[in-house]
Amino acid sequence: MKKAVLLSIFYLFLIPTVVLAAFNYNSKEFQTVIQQLDMQGHADHDISTCSIKKVYYEEVIEALNQGQSEKEILKSYIDEYGQAALRTPAADGSGIIAWITPALGFLIGAVVVGFGIKKLTNKNAGKETELLDKVEMTEMEREIVEITFEEERKKHF
Amino acid sequence: MYLIGNIALILGIIISLYSIAANIIGIKRNDRKWLESARGGILSLAFVTSISAFLLFYILGTSQFQFKYVAAYTNTQLPLVYKLAAFWAGNAGSLLLWAFLLSIYAAIIVLSKKKQNNMIPYVSNILLLNMLFFYIVMVFNANPFEMTETIPADGKGLNPMLQNPGMVIHPVTLYMGYVGLAVPFAYAIAALLMKNMDAGWIKLTRRWTLTAWLFLTIGNIVGGWWAYLELGWGGYWAWDPVENASFLPWLTVSAFLHSVMIQERKNMLRTWNVSLIILSYILSLFGTFLVRSGILTSVHAFGDSNLGTYFLIFMAFMMIFAIYVVITRYQLIKKESKPIEAYFSKESSFLLNNFILVAAAFAVFFGTMYPLISETLTGTKVNVGAPYFNKVMAPIMLALLFLMAICPLISWQKAVFERFLKNTLAPIIGALLFAGAIVVMGVKGIYAIIGLTVTVFMFNVHLAEFWRGMRARRKATKEGFIKAAFQLTRKNQRRYGGYIVHIGIAVIAVGVISSNAYSEEIMKTVNQGESFKVGKYELTFNELTETEEKGNGIVAADIDVKYKGKTNGSIHPEKIFYGTWPEPSSEVAIKTNWKEDLYVVLSSWESKEKVTFVVKINPFVSWIWAGGILMMIGTAIALIGGKTLSFFRVNGRQAGVDI
Repeated sequence: MKKAVLLSIFYLFLIPTVVLAAFNYNSKEFQTVIQQLDMQGHADHDISTCSIKKVYYEEVIEALNQGQSEKEILKSYIDEYGQAALRTPAADGSGIIAWITPALGFLIGAVVVGFGIKKLTNKNAGKETELLDKVEMTEMEREIVEITFEEERKKHF
Repeated sequence: MYLIGNIALILGIIISLYSIAANIIGIKRNDRKWLESARGGILSLAFVTSISAFLLFYILGTSQFQFKYVAAYTNTQLPLVYKLAAFWAGNAGSLLLWAFLLSIYAAIIVLSKKKQNNMIPYVSNILLLNMLFFYIVMVFNANPFEMTETIPADGKGLNPMLQNPGMVIHPVTLYMGYVGLAVPFAYAIAALLMKNMDAGWIKLTRRWTLTAWLFLTIGNIVGGWWAYLELGWGGYWAWDPVENASFLPWLTVSAFLHSVMIQERKNMLRTWNVSLIILSYILSLFGTFLVRSGILTSVHAFGDSNLGTYFLIFMAFMMIFAIYVVITRYQLIKKESKPIEAYFSKESSFLLNNFILVAAAFAVFFGTMYPLISETLTGTKVNVGAPYFNKVMAPIMLALLFLMAICPLISWQKAVFERFLKNTLAPIIGALLFAGAIVVMGVKGIYAIIGLTVTVFMFNVHLAEFWRGMRARRKATKEGFIKAAFQLTRKNQRRYGGYIVHIGIAVIAVGVISSNAYSEEIMKTVNQGESFKVGKYELTFNELTETEEKGNGIVAADIDVKYKGKTNGSIHPEKIFYGTWPEPSSEVAIKTNWKEDLYVVLSSWESKEKVTFVVKINPFVSWIWAGGILMMIGTAIALIGGKTLSFFRVNGRQAGVDI
């Protein structure tokens, strides 16, 4: 019983620590949010010299520490600046075109190239070589051919 | 000097116009005198442009602030090398650089041994059109020799971010690449105008194209290296619109360099090759247009520019002209081509390679332009930043790496599948063993592991190709390993130079994949004497010092570094406060070993005893620079050697022109 009371007291002390855990720039949650924000075109600037990036960093930390989730923070920025708040177009609505067009282009290109290769390929052209490959040679003939090839090859070295 | 500079620019317009007219008359009347006169005009133009260029160097080097350009981009404190490099820091100077390079290229062409080649008048006219455009823009809109109303005591100085050795190399090499593409474009159009549909223009321009590609490669790699050192955000490629604009022609020229091999051997893909070189040239203009138009936000754009309209008109004119020429000659281009003999052949694999490179170019172009498209069509402002490009480009680049892995194993005409499998086996086993080993070592991230495995496969294939070639050589000649490797490369420089380029790309891919997937970053505020850990490093902040150098205030932190518990020297990230620039600049401190970079930025300080650092561990970034060097070596080898014997074999005659 005594043990259970002590454990309960210990957990009671732990709860505020967990709930009020302060986020900082190294927190995974912070990194996830900040990496999605365009920060008015300052996302790739050096934080130490960019005042706009600093403001965003502080705002996101504050929002996280106020208990806002990743979705809520991003939504608040989108509400304020529109889709331009983020570094990528939305994955739905009008933004979907941005995501599917390269894939669509790739597929159409693949079909065109496929047909192109089919059209450009003359299936009969290779048959002669195939026939030559299949010609049966005696051991002596094969040896002569190999020696001739070897001598011809040496000329190129 | 004002007079000399301006007269030289005006002479540029007059001589260009005269030479174009002389060439046209010479061609129409088949009169050698007019053609010789045009040739003289081009040489004079090179001379006049050189005078302008040297004059700009002179006024920059001697700080003549009565010139607007000098006052805008230099000051007395600036080291001489950066005073001179300010040549291409602004709009007007960079246009003069473009015109200068173009005039030198045109002079080389008319002075070459092939000067009797009857394509030259057509080629030089297309180059002259380009030069005329640049001269008109300089004289009427961006004159590097414009005077100030009152002479300032000192200039504004150069943006601190531009004060880096990268400034000396990156813009010039990129321009040499862009301008270089005008030459094969000019030859292609000339061949079409002359209704000369064989591969003659390709043979004549192989080295020009390869040189342009080499400079584009150097420009992009050095640009990445410069951004990594100077910008302080720890990356090297931000998928910025202007960066994309320099990557686009690189992709299309890479496709062209592969597809011309099919035309050389088979006389196929003539329309495609002409289209690719036209596209590459137009994309080089597009890059210049993007920098100067202000239609897209970019850190690289010239802020004070209104030249977009000029470039748009010129780009549209050249594009319509080129398309018209292709369409009117289409029936001639498409006849007389030999078919591919089998689906499974190098020819087919090169077509796939072209498709993937062009698809990559399309994806980059679409992503770059999408903000504009979206705003125009829907009124919605959107950004297309690095996360978008990373997601879209990753599968395309993976497919390209895979194709680069299997292509060398597929023979021309008709590949034997059993032999292909036999040759693939060892490289693929090696790659799978590597994948297993890194998984056992605890490396995570399925996409990165797949990417690295394909890269290792590609690397193994090329190594195996070298090995097979060397073994065959040694068997025939009894040479030692080193001599055999040297002779093997020397005897077929195009092929093995190309393989070295591929190996360079594999090395770069390791750096790009690893640094994107496995980098670590922390921001840490520490007191004097306090230590903190990042990865396997332990950093101890010793002190913060303030000094002054050439009128600039420098704040530097002294940090001791331990790697895996052992002392590993010290580093000194700095913040420089320039007397002539409002924003301070970060000088990052980097400690490199073969597998990672320790990247430290002095972020801020509350007092001398309490400082905040941004520390990154960037794995394998140095491999990107090493891969770049390998690519340059490989291209240089391919460039020096490589007689296109197959061209003669296919055509059996000289290509209608006196080569």
